[in-house]
Amino acid sequence: MKTKLYRGYQPFLFLLPALVFIAIFTYYPIGYSVYYSLHSQNLFSPQPVFTGLSNYMMMMKDPIFWTVVWNNVIYGVFTIFPTMIMALLLAILIDESKRFKAFFQLGLFYPLLIPMAAAAMIWVFMLDANLGIINKALRIFGLPEPGWLGSDKSSLWALIIMAIWKNLGYYMLIFLAGLQSIPKYLYEAAEIEGAGWFRKHLTITIPLVSPSTIFVFIVSVIQSFKVFTQIHLMTKGGPGYSSNVLVYYIYENAFRYWDIGMASALTSVLIIFLLFLVVLIFGFFSRRVHYSLT
Amino acid sequence: MRLKRRNSGLLKYFFLFAITIIAIIPFYLVIVIAFKGSKEIFSGNYLLPSLTPRLENFKIVFESAPFVRYMINTIIVVFGILLMQLAVVIPAAYAFARMKFRGANFLFILFIIQIMLPLEALVVPNYQIVRSAGLYNTLIAMMLPFIGSGYGTFLLRQSFKQIPKDLEDAAIIDGCGHFRFIWNVLVPLSKPTIVTFSLISIATHWNDYIWPLIITDSQKVRTLTIGLGMFVQQESGADWGVLMAATLFISLPIVLLFLALQKTFLESFLTSGMKG
Repeated sequence: MKTKLYRGYQPFLFLLPALVFIAIFTYYPIGYSVYYSLHSQNLFSPQPVFTGLSNYMMMMKDPIFWTVVWNNVIYGVFTIFPTMIMALLLAILIDESKRFKAFFQLGLFYPLLIPMAAAAMIWVFMLDANLGIINKALRIFGLPEPGWLGSDKSSLWALIIMAIWKNLGYYMLIFLAGLQSIPKYLYEAAEIEGAGWFRKHLTITIPLVSPSTIFVFIVSVIQSFKVFTQIHLMTKGGPGYSSNVLVYYIYENAFRYWDIGMASALTSVLIIFLLFLVVLIFGFFSRRVHYSLT
Repeated sequence: MRLKRRNSGLLKYFFLFAITIIAIIPFYLVIVIAFKGSKEIFSGNYLLPSLTPRLENFKIVFESAPFVRYMINTIIVVFGILLMQLAVVIPAAYAFARMKFRGANFLFILFIIQIMLPLEALVVPNYQIVRSAGLYNTLIAMMLPFIGSGYGTFLLRQSFKQIPKDLEDAAIIDGCGHFRFIWNVLVPLSKPTIVTFSLISIATHWNDYIWPLIITDSQKVRTLTIGLGMFVQQESGADWGVLMAATLFISLPIVLLFLALQKTFLESFLTSGMKG
Protein backbone atom coordinates (compact mmCIF):
# COMPACT_ATOMS: atom_id res chain seq x y z
CA MET A 1 0.00 0.00 0.00
CA LYS A 2 1.49 3.35 -1.02
CA THR A 3 1.22 6.54 0.94
CA LYS A 4 -2.07 8.13 -0.02
CA LEU A 5 -1.93 11.41 -1.92
CA TYR A 6 -4.14 13.83 -0.07
CA ARG A 7 -5.90 16.24 -2.40
CA GLY A 8 -8.12 18.06 0.03
CA TYR A 9 -7.46 20.45 2.86
CA GLN A 10 -6.89 17.74 5.47
CA PRO A 11 -3.05 17.91 5.73
CA PHE A 12 -3.27 21.69 6.06
CA LEU A 13 -5.52 21.36 9.08
CA PHE A 14 -2.73 19.47 10.83
CA LEU A 15 -0.19 22.08 9.80
CA LEU A 16 -2.32 25.13 10.48
CA PRO A 17 -1.61 25.74 14.20
CA ALA A 18 2.16 25.55 13.76
CA LEU A 19 2.02 27.58 10.57
CA VAL A 20 0.04 30.37 12.23
CA PHE A 21 2.71 30.75 14.92
CA ILE A 22 5.58 30.61 12.43
CA ALA A 23 3.85 33.14 10.20
CA ILE A 24 3.21 35.62 13.01
CA PHE A 25 6.56 35.35 14.81
CA THR A 26 9.02 34.61 11.99
CA TYR A 27 7.77 35.61 8.54
CA TYR A 28 5.61 38.59 9.36
CA PRO A 29 8.46 40.12 11.45
CA ILE A 30 10.78 39.81 8.44
CA GLY A 31 8.42 41.92 6.33
CA TYR A 32 7.91 44.24 9.27
CA SER A 33 11.61 45.02 9.66
CA VAL A 34 12.15 45.48 5.93
CA TYR A 35 9.23 47.96 5.94
CA TYR A 36 10.53 49.93 8.94
CA SER A 37 14.10 49.86 7.62
CA LEU A 38 12.88 52.11 4.80
CA HIS A 39 11.50 54.61 7.31
CA SER A 40 12.95 56.95 9.81
CA GLN A 41 11.51 56.37 13.26
CA ASN A 42 13.43 57.56 16.29
CA LEU A 43 13.23 59.96 19.21
CA PHE A 44 13.19 62.93 16.80
CA SER A 45 10.48 61.55 14.54
CA PRO A 46 8.26 59.24 16.61
CA GLN A 47 5.98 58.64 13.60
CA PRO A 48 7.62 56.63 10.82
CA VAL A 49 8.56 58.78 7.82
CA PHE A 50 9.53 57.15 4.53
CA THR A 51 13.18 57.80 3.81
CA GLY A 52 14.05 55.11 1.28
CA LEU A 53 17.47 53.59 1.65
CA SER A 54 18.91 56.30 3.88
CA ASN A 55 19.18 53.99 6.92
CA TYR A 56 21.24 51.58 4.84
CA MET A 57 23.42 54.43 3.53
CA MET A 58 24.09 55.61 7.07
CA MET A 59 24.89 52.06 8.14
CA MET A 60 27.45 51.60 5.38
CA LYS A 61 29.16 54.86 6.33
CA ASP A 62 29.18 54.04 10.03
CA PRO A 63 32.62 52.73 11.09
CA ILE A 64 31.09 51.21 14.23
CA PHE A 65 28.89 49.00 12.08
CA TRP A 66 31.96 47.58 10.33
CA THR A 67 33.75 47.07 13.66
CA VAL A 68 30.73 45.14 14.91
CA VAL A 69 30.58 42.99 11.76
CA TRP A 70 34.31 42.30 11.97
CA ASN A 71 34.04 41.36 15.66
CA ASN A 72 31.22 38.98 14.83
CA VAL A 73 33.25 37.35 12.05
CA ILE A 74 36.29 36.94 14.33
CA TYR A 75 34.06 35.55 17.07
CA GLY A 76 32.45 33.13 14.61
CA VAL A 77 35.63 31.87 12.96
CA PHE A 78 37.50 31.39 16.22
CA THR A 79 34.66 29.68 18.04
CA ILE A 80 33.40 27.48 15.20
CA PHE A 81 36.57 25.85 13.91
CA PRO A 82 38.51 25.18 17.13
CA THR A 83 35.36 23.86 18.81
CA MET A 84 34.52 21.58 15.89
CA ILE A 85 38.04 20.14 15.62
CA MET A 86 38.29 19.53 19.36
CA ALA A 87 34.78 18.09 19.52
CA LEU A 88 35.53 15.58 16.75
CA LEU A 89 38.82 14.58 18.35
CA LEU A 90 37.14 14.11 21.73
CA ALA A 91 34.28 12.13 20.19
CA ILE A 92 36.75 9.75 18.50
CA LEU A 93 38.73 9.28 21.72
CA ILE A 94 35.62 8.72 23.82
CA ASP A 95 34.28 6.28 21.26
CA GLU A 96 37.54 4.32 21.43
CA SER A 97 37.81 4.33 25.20
CA LYS A 98 36.35 1.52 27.24
CA ARG A 99 36.03 3.13 30.63
CA PHE A 100 34.77 6.42 32.13
CA LYS A 101 32.65 7.08 29.03
CA ALA A 102 29.71 8.48 31.00
CA PHE A 103 32.02 10.68 33.06
CA PHE A 104 33.60 12.22 29.97
CA GLN A 105 30.24 12.71 28.26
CA LEU A 106 28.56 14.37 31.24
CA GLY A 107 31.60 16.42 32.21
CA LEU A 108 31.88 17.85 28.73
CA PHE A 109 28.16 18.25 28.01
CA TYR A 110 26.89 19.93 31.18
CA PRO A 111 28.07 23.47 30.24
CA LEU A 112 25.38 23.58 27.54
CA LEU A 113 22.71 23.22 30.24
CA ILE A 114 23.98 25.97 32.52
CA PRO A 115 21.97 29.11 31.71
CA MET A 116 24.16 31.57 29.82
CA ALA A 117 23.34 34.21 32.42
CA ALA A 118 24.74 31.92 35.13
CA ALA A 119 27.73 30.93 33.02
CA ALA A 120 28.46 34.63 32.50
CA MET A 121 28.64 35.17 36.29
CA ILE A 122 31.01 32.24 36.72
CA TRP A 123 33.29 33.43 33.94
CA VAL A 124 33.37 37.03 35.16
CA PHE A 125 34.76 35.57 38.37
CA MET A 126 37.18 33.22 36.63
CA LEU A 127 38.39 35.97 34.30
CA ASP A 128 38.93 38.50 37.09
CA ALA A 129 42.40 39.94 36.48
CA ASN A 130 43.65 39.45 40.05
CA LEU A 131 41.36 36.99 41.75
CA GLY A 132 40.42 34.81 38.78
CA ILE A 133 41.59 31.25 38.45
CA ILE A 134 42.75 31.76 34.85
CA ASN A 135 45.28 34.46 35.64
CA LYS A 136 46.26 32.55 38.79
CA ALA A 137 47.14 29.57 36.59
CA LEU A 138 49.02 31.76 34.11
CA ARG A 139 50.95 33.29 37.01
CA ILE A 140 52.11 29.87 38.15
CA PHE A 141 53.58 29.19 34.72
CA GLY A 142 55.02 32.70 34.52
CA LEU A 143 52.94 33.56 31.45
CA PRO A 144 51.66 37.06 30.65
CA GLU A 145 48.32 37.86 32.31
CA PRO A 146 45.80 39.57 30.01
CA GLY A 147 43.30 42.01 31.47
CA TRP A 148 40.54 39.87 29.87
CA LEU A 149 37.17 41.66 30.11
CA GLY A 150 38.74 44.94 31.15
CA SER A 151 40.96 45.31 28.11
CA ASP A 152 39.90 46.05 24.54
CA LYS A 153 42.60 43.69 23.27
CA SER A 154 41.32 40.62 25.10
CA SER A 155 37.60 41.06 25.83
CA LEU A 156 36.45 39.39 22.61
CA TRP A 157 38.92 36.54 23.14
CA ALA A 158 37.63 35.97 26.66
CA LEU A 159 34.14 35.53 25.18
CA ILE A 160 35.51 33.17 22.54
CA ILE A 161 37.18 30.94 25.15
CA MET A 162 33.97 30.84 27.14
CA ALA A 163 31.93 29.91 24.04
CA ILE A 164 34.27 26.99 23.29
CA TRP A 165 33.72 25.67 26.83
CA LYS A 166 29.95 26.10 26.52
CA ASN A 167 29.44 24.27 23.21
CA LEU A 168 32.25 21.72 23.07
CA GLY A 169 30.33 18.89 24.74
CA TYR A 170 27.21 19.40 22.65
CA TYR A 171 29.13 19.16 19.38
CA MET A 172 31.10 16.21 20.78
CA LEU A 173 27.81 14.36 21.39
CA ILE A 174 26.60 15.07 17.85
CA PHE A 175 29.85 13.70 16.44
CA LEU A 176 29.67 10.72 18.78
CA ALA A 177 26.19 9.98 17.42
CA GLY A 178 27.56 10.22 13.89
CA LEU A 179 30.42 7.84 14.69
CA GLN A 180 27.93 5.15 15.75
CA SER A 181 26.68 4.86 12.17
CA ILE A 182 30.11 4.11 10.65
CA PRO A 183 30.43 0.34 10.10
CA LYS A 184 33.16 -1.17 12.28
CA TYR A 185 34.43 -3.52 9.54
CA LEU A 186 35.86 -0.55 7.66
CA TYR A 187 38.26 0.08 10.55
CA GLU A 188 39.10 -3.61 10.82
CA ALA A 189 39.91 -3.76 7.11
CA ALA A 190 42.08 -0.65 7.42
CA GLU A 191 43.94 -2.16 10.37
CA ILE A 192 44.65 -5.34 8.42
CA GLU A 193 46.06 -3.18 5.65
CA GLY A 194 48.36 -1.68 8.26
CA ALA A 195 46.79 1.77 8.53
CA GLY A 196 47.76 3.71 11.68
CA TRP A 197 45.44 5.72 13.91
CA PHE A 198 45.74 8.98 11.97
CA ARG A 199 45.44 7.34 8.58
CA LYS A 200 42.35 5.41 9.70
CA HIS A 201 40.51 8.46 10.90
CA LEU A 202 41.67 10.68 8.06
CA THR A 203 40.39 8.33 5.35
CA ILE A 204 37.39 6.73 7.05
CA THR A 205 36.07 8.81 9.94
CA ILE A 206 36.31 12.31 8.53
CA PRO A 207 34.50 11.62 5.22
CA LEU A 208 31.86 9.37 6.76
CA VAL A 209 31.04 11.63 9.67
CA SER A 210 30.29 14.52 7.30
CA PRO A 211 26.51 14.57 7.90
CA SER A 212 27.26 15.36 11.55
CA THR A 213 29.89 17.88 10.48
CA ILE A 214 27.41 19.86 8.41
CA PHE A 215 24.84 19.73 11.21
CA VAL A 216 27.38 21.01 13.75
CA PHE A 217 28.56 23.66 11.31
CA ILE A 218 25.05 25.00 10.76
CA VAL A 219 24.25 24.97 14.48
CA SER A 220 27.49 26.77 15.32
CA VAL A 221 27.07 29.42 12.64
CA ILE A 222 23.63 30.25 14.03
CA GLN A 223 25.05 30.22 17.58
CA SER A 224 27.75 32.70 16.70
CA PHE A 225 25.34 35.18 15.14
CA LYS A 226 22.83 35.13 17.97
CA VAL A 227 25.31 35.75 20.77
CA PHE A 228 23.85 38.32 23.18
CA THR A 229 23.43 37.29 26.82
CA GLN A 230 27.10 37.09 27.77
CA ILE A 231 27.83 40.40 26.03
CA HIS A 232 24.99 42.12 27.90
CA LEU A 233 26.13 40.72 31.24
CA MET A 234 29.90 40.64 30.88
CA THR A 235 31.13 43.47 28.66
CA LYS A 236 28.20 45.59 27.36
CA GLY A 237 30.05 45.41 24.06
CA GLY A 238 33.14 47.06 25.51
CA PRO A 239 35.62 48.30 26.37
CA GLY A 240 34.74 50.76 23.62
CA TYR A 241 33.26 48.64 20.87
CA SER A 242 35.83 45.86 21.20
CA SER A 243 33.34 43.10 21.96
CA ASN A 244 30.21 44.47 20.33
CA VAL A 245 28.47 42.08 17.93
CA LEU A 246 25.49 42.31 15.58
CA VAL A 247 22.60 41.29 17.84
CA TYR A 248 23.96 43.43 20.67
CA TYR A 249 24.34 46.39 18.34
CA ILE A 250 20.75 45.91 17.15
CA TYR A 251 19.63 45.83 20.79
CA GLU A 252 21.53 49.06 21.54
CA ASN A 253 20.06 50.84 18.55
CA ALA A 254 16.51 49.76 19.35
CA PHE A 255 16.35 49.84 23.13
CA ARG A 256 18.98 52.36 24.16
CA TYR A 257 18.91 54.92 21.35
CA TRP A 258 15.31 54.07 20.32
CA ASP A 259 16.29 54.32 16.66
CA ILE A 260 13.79 51.80 15.30
CA GLY A 261 14.58 52.62 11.66
CA MET A 262 18.28 51.85 12.06
CA ALA A 263 17.59 48.79 14.24
CA SER A 264 15.22 47.48 11.54
CA ALA A 265 17.80 48.07 8.82
CA LEU A 266 20.39 46.16 10.87
CA THR A 267 17.86 43.38 11.47
CA SER A 268 17.13 43.16 7.74
CA VAL A 269 20.82 42.91 6.93
CA LEU A 270 21.28 40.15 9.50
CA ILE A 271 18.28 38.22 8.13
CA ILE A 272 19.48 38.52 4.53
CA PHE A 273 22.92 37.42 5.61
CA LEU A 274 21.57 34.37 7.49
CA LEU A 275 19.35 33.35 4.56
CA PHE A 276 22.29 33.75 2.19
CA LEU A 277 24.33 31.51 4.47
CA VAL A 278 21.59 28.88 4.50
CA VAL A 279 21.52 28.76 0.71
CA LEU A 280 25.31 28.66 0.56
CA ILE A 281 25.66 25.89 3.12
CA PHE A 282 22.98 23.68 1.64
CA GLY A 283 24.16 24.32 -1.92
CA PHE A 284 27.73 23.48 -1.00
CA PHE A 285 27.12 20.44 1.12
CA SER A 286 24.27 18.82 -0.76
CA ARG A 287 26.65 18.26 -3.65
CA ARG A 288 29.58 16.99 -1.61
CA VAL A 289 28.00 15.05 1.19
CA HIS A 290 25.99 11.91 1.04
CA TYR A 291 23.19 13.40 3.00
CA SER A 292 19.67 14.56 2.50
CA LEU A 293 17.42 16.58 4.66
CA THR A 294 14.20 14.89 3.72
CA MET B 1 54.64 -3.03 19.98
CA ARG B 2 52.37 -4.03 22.79
CA LEU B 3 53.97 -1.59 25.17
CA LYS B 4 53.65 1.20 22.63
CA ARG B 5 49.95 0.59 22.18
CA ARG B 6 49.37 0.62 25.91
CA ASN B 7 51.23 3.90 26.23
CA SER B 8 49.20 5.58 23.52
CA GLY B 9 46.07 4.28 25.27
CA LEU B 10 47.19 5.90 28.49
CA LEU B 11 47.96 9.12 26.66
CA LYS B 12 44.42 9.19 25.27
CA TYR B 13 42.92 8.77 28.74
CA PHE B 14 45.23 11.41 30.11
CA PHE B 15 44.09 13.84 27.43
CA LEU B 16 40.38 13.04 27.99
CA PHE B 17 40.72 13.44 31.75
CA ALA B 18 42.60 16.72 31.39
CA ILE B 19 39.98 18.30 29.11
CA THR B 20 37.01 16.96 31.11
CA ILE B 21 38.44 18.24 34.39
CA ILE B 22 39.06 21.68 32.87
CA ALA B 23 35.44 21.66 31.70
CA ILE B 24 34.20 20.78 35.19
CA ILE B 25 36.23 23.44 37.04
CA PRO B 26 33.72 26.30 36.48
CA PHE B 27 30.84 24.36 38.02
CA TYR B 28 33.05 23.13 40.83
CA LEU B 29 33.98 26.72 41.62
CA VAL B 30 30.33 27.83 41.78
CA ILE B 31 29.51 25.12 44.29
CA VAL B 32 32.55 25.82 46.45
CA ILE B 33 32.25 29.60 46.40
CA ALA B 34 28.50 29.70 47.01
CA PHE B 35 29.29 28.53 50.56
CA LYS B 36 32.13 30.95 51.32
CA GLY B 37 32.31 34.37 52.94
CA SER B 38 33.81 37.29 51.03
CA LYS B 39 36.91 37.52 53.24
CA GLU B 40 37.90 33.99 52.39
CA ILE B 41 37.34 34.61 48.69
CA PHE B 42 39.33 37.84 48.58
CA SER B 43 42.24 36.16 50.33
CA GLY B 44 42.59 34.21 47.09
CA ASN B 45 42.57 30.76 48.69
CA TYR B 46 39.13 29.70 47.57
CA LEU B 47 39.92 26.50 45.70
CA LEU B 48 39.07 24.01 48.43
CA PRO B 49 35.61 23.62 49.99
CA SER B 50 35.18 25.28 53.37
CA LEU B 51 35.07 23.05 56.41
CA THR B 52 32.24 25.17 57.75
CA PRO B 53 29.95 25.89 54.77
CA ARG B 54 28.29 29.28 55.03
CA LEU B 55 24.57 29.03 54.31
CA GLU B 56 24.06 32.71 54.92
CA ASN B 57 24.79 33.55 51.25
CA PHE B 58 21.55 31.85 50.24
CA LYS B 59 19.63 33.68 52.95
CA ILE B 60 20.90 37.00 51.58
CA VAL B 61 19.91 36.01 48.03
CA PHE B 62 16.32 35.25 49.00
CA GLU B 63 16.01 38.33 51.20
CA SER B 64 17.27 40.81 48.62
CA ALA B 65 15.39 39.64 45.51
CA PRO B 66 12.19 37.62 44.92
CA PHE B 67 13.96 34.55 43.55
CA VAL B 68 11.10 32.24 44.50
CA ARG B 69 8.72 34.38 42.43
CA TYR B 70 11.25 34.27 39.54
CA MET B 71 11.42 30.50 39.87
CA ILE B 72 7.63 30.10 39.72
CA ASN B 73 7.46 32.40 36.68
CA THR B 74 10.21 30.46 34.95
CA ILE B 75 8.48 27.15 35.56
CA ILE B 76 5.18 28.50 34.19
CA VAL B 77 6.85 29.94 31.09
CA VAL B 78 9.04 26.91 30.37
CA PHE B 79 6.29 24.33 30.72
CA GLY B 80 3.76 26.58 29.00
CA ILE B 81 6.09 26.77 26.00
CA LEU B 82 6.71 23.01 26.01
CA LEU B 83 3.04 22.01 26.20
CA MET B 84 1.99 24.41 23.45
CA GLN B 85 4.97 23.39 21.32
CA LEU B 86 4.00 19.72 21.56
CA ALA B 87 0.36 20.56 20.80
CA VAL B 88 1.21 22.28 17.51
CA VAL B 89 4.36 20.41 16.52
CA ILE B 90 3.05 16.84 16.80
CA PRO B 91 0.22 17.32 14.27
CA ALA B 92 2.54 19.21 11.91
CA ALA B 93 5.21 16.51 12.13
CA TYR B 94 2.48 13.93 11.49
CA ALA B 95 1.37 15.68 8.31
CA PHE B 96 4.94 15.95 7.01
CA ALA B 97 5.87 12.39 7.92
CA ARG B 98 2.80 10.40 6.97
CA MET B 99 0.84 12.40 4.37
CA LYS B 100 1.63 13.19 0.78
CA PHE B 101 0.20 16.44 -0.51
CA ARG B 102 0.97 19.25 -2.91
CA GLY B 103 3.10 22.01 -1.44
CA ALA B 104 4.53 19.73 1.26
CA ASN B 105 8.12 20.46 0.27
CA PHE B 106 7.61 24.20 0.15
CA LEU B 107 5.92 24.26 3.55
CA PHE B 108 8.62 22.06 5.03
CA ILE B 109 11.28 24.49 3.82
CA LEU B 110 9.42 27.30 5.61
CA PHE B 111 9.78 25.29 8.83
CA ILE B 112 13.48 24.58 8.19
CA ILE B 113 14.30 28.22 7.45
CA GLN B 114 12.70 29.12 10.76
CA ILE B 115 15.38 27.03 12.52
CA MET B 116 18.04 29.21 10.89
CA LEU B 117 16.41 32.49 11.96
CA PRO B 118 16.73 32.59 15.75
CA LEU B 119 14.54 34.98 17.70
CA GLU B 120 17.67 36.91 18.68
CA ALA B 121 17.82 38.19 15.10
CA LEU B 122 14.14 39.16 15.12
CA VAL B 123 13.73 40.78 18.54
CA VAL B 124 12.99 44.28 17.26
CA PRO B 125 9.96 43.48 15.05
CA ASN B 126 8.71 40.86 17.53
CA TYR B 127 8.90 43.41 20.32
CA GLN B 128 6.81 45.85 18.31
CA ILE B 129 4.28 43.21 17.29
CA VAL B 130 3.80 41.79 20.79
CA ARG B 131 3.72 45.27 22.30
CA SER B 132 1.09 46.51 19.86
CA ALA B 133 -1.01 43.43 20.68
CA GLY B 134 -1.12 44.75 24.26
CA LEU B 135 0.85 41.84 25.68
CA TYR B 136 3.85 43.76 27.01
CA ASN B 137 4.96 42.57 30.44
CA THR B 138 2.88 39.39 30.54
CA LEU B 139 3.84 35.75 31.01
CA ILE B 140 2.13 34.73 27.78
CA ALA B 141 4.26 37.19 25.78
CA MET B 142 7.36 35.34 26.92
CA MET B 143 6.01 32.08 25.44
CA LEU B 144 4.41 33.07 22.13
CA PRO B 145 7.41 33.40 19.76
CA PHE B 146 8.75 29.96 20.63
CA ILE B 147 5.63 27.85 20.13
CA GLY B 148 5.82 27.16 16.39
CA SER B 149 9.08 25.25 16.63
CA GLY B 150 10.63 24.29 13.30
CA TYR B 151 13.24 22.28 15.15
CA GLY B 152 10.64 20.24 17.04
CA THR B 153 8.69 19.60 13.84
CA PHE B 154 11.87 18.44 12.13
CA LEU B 155 12.92 16.09 14.94
CA LEU B 156 9.51 14.51 15.37
CA ARG B 157 9.01 14.12 11.65
CA GLN B 158 12.23 12.09 11.46
CA SER B 159 11.00 9.90 14.28
CA PHE B 160 7.45 9.45 12.94
CA LYS B 161 8.85 8.47 9.55
CA GLN B 162 10.67 5.47 10.99
CA ILE B 163 7.49 3.86 12.23
CA PRO B 164 6.51 1.07 9.79
CA LYS B 165 3.64 1.65 7.40
CA ASP B 166 2.13 -1.71 8.36
CA LEU B 167 1.27 -0.36 11.79
CA GLU B 168 -0.67 2.48 10.22
CA ASP B 169 -2.54 0.13 7.88
CA ALA B 170 -3.43 -2.15 10.77
CA ALA B 171 -4.63 0.81 12.82
CA ILE B 172 -6.79 2.07 9.95
CA ILE B 173 -8.34 -1.36 9.47
CA ASP B 174 -9.16 -1.31 13.18
CA GLY B 175 -11.03 1.93 12.55
CA CYS B 176 -8.46 4.20 14.15
CA GLY B 177 -8.71 7.89 13.21
CA HIS B 178 -5.81 10.28 12.76
CA PHE B 179 -5.78 11.53 16.29
CA ARG B 180 -6.13 8.14 17.92
CA PHE B 181 -3.33 6.85 15.69
CA ILE B 182 -1.08 9.76 16.72
CA TRP B 183 -1.91 9.44 20.40
CA ASN B 184 -1.93 5.64 20.74
CA VAL B 185 0.75 4.61 18.26
CA LEU B 186 3.08 7.38 17.11
CA VAL B 187 3.56 9.22 20.40
CA PRO B 188 4.34 6.14 22.53
CA LEU B 189 6.70 4.75 19.89
CA SER B 190 8.51 8.10 19.57
CA LYS B 191 8.91 8.56 23.29
CA PRO B 192 12.73 8.85 23.28
CA THR B 193 12.61 11.62 20.66
CA ILE B 194 9.84 13.43 22.52
CA VAL B 195 11.80 13.23 25.77
CA THR B 196 14.92 14.50 24.00
CA PHE B 197 13.06 17.39 22.40
CA SER B 198 11.35 18.25 25.69
CA LEU B 199 14.65 18.31 27.52
CA ILE B 200 16.24 20.53 24.86
CA SER B 201 13.21 22.83 24.90
CA ILE B 202 13.18 23.12 28.69
CA ALA B 203 16.93 23.80 28.85
CA THR B 204 16.75 26.34 26.02
CA HIS B 205 13.88 28.35 27.49
CA TRP B 206 15.11 28.08 31.06
CA ASN B 207 18.10 29.96 29.62
CA ASP B 208 16.17 32.56 27.56
CA TYR B 209 17.53 36.00 28.17
CA ILE B 210 17.12 38.62 25.46
CA TRP B 211 13.38 38.12 24.92
CA PRO B 212 12.27 38.23 28.59
CA LEU B 213 14.69 41.14 29.05
CA ILE B 214 13.01 43.39 26.50
CA ILE B 215 9.40 42.23 26.87
CA THR B 216 9.12 42.61 30.66
CA ASP B 217 9.69 45.46 33.07
CA SER B 218 8.42 44.32 36.45
CA GLN B 219 9.43 41.75 39.04
CA LYS B 220 5.99 40.16 38.95
CA VAL B 221 6.63 38.47 35.61
CA ARG B 222 10.43 38.31 35.47
CA THR B 223 12.22 34.98 35.11
CA LEU B 224 15.32 33.61 36.83
CA THR B 225 17.93 34.61 34.27
CA ILE B 226 16.71 38.20 34.17
CA GLY B 227 16.42 38.16 37.95
CA LEU B 228 20.06 37.13 38.19
CA GLY B 229 21.09 39.91 35.80
CA MET B 230 19.22 42.53 37.86
CA PHE B 231 20.59 41.08 41.09
CA VAL B 232 24.15 41.55 39.84
CA GLN B 233 23.55 45.22 39.08
CA GLN B 234 21.86 45.74 42.41
CA GLU B 235 24.69 44.02 44.34
CA SER B 236 27.44 45.82 42.47
CA GLY B 237 29.81 45.50 45.42
CA ALA B 238 30.56 42.03 44.07
CA ASP B 239 30.08 39.75 47.03
CA TRP B 240 31.09 36.69 45.05
CA GLY B 241 29.77 34.24 47.63
CA VAL B 242 26.27 35.70 47.34
CA LEU B 243 26.43 35.96 43.53
CA MET B 244 27.54 32.36 43.20
CA ALA B 245 24.76 31.25 45.55
CA ALA B 246 22.24 32.90 43.21
CA THR B 247 24.01 31.42 40.18
CA LEU B 248 23.87 27.96 41.70
CA PHE B 249 20.19 28.40 42.53
CA ILE B 250 19.21 29.19 38.94
CA SER B 251 21.40 26.46 37.36
CA LEU B 252 20.75 23.56 39.69
CA PRO B 253 17.17 22.64 38.66
CA ILE B 254 18.13 22.22 35.02
CA VAL B 255 21.26 20.21 35.81
CA LEU B 256 19.29 17.92 38.15
CA LEU B 257 16.54 17.43 35.57
CA PHE B 258 19.15 16.42 33.03
CA LEU B 259 20.81 14.00 35.41
CA ALA B 260 17.44 12.37 36.07
CA LEU B 261 16.71 11.95 32.36
CA GLN B 262 20.24 11.52 31.05
CA LYS B 263 19.88 7.84 30.20
CA THR B 264 16.92 8.33 27.88
CA PHE B 265 18.47 11.48 26.50
CA LEU B 266 21.90 10.04 25.71
CA GLU B 267 20.44 6.83 24.29
CA SER B 268 18.05 8.63 22.01
CA PHE B 269 20.68 11.19 21.07
CA LEU B 270 23.32 8.61 20.27
CA THR B 271 21.16 6.10 18.45
CA SER B 272 18.74 8.08 16.34
CA GLY B 273 17.67 11.56 17.34
CA MET B 274 19.93 14.23 15.97
CA LYS B 275 21.11 12.82 12.70
CA GLY B 276 19.26 14.83 10.05
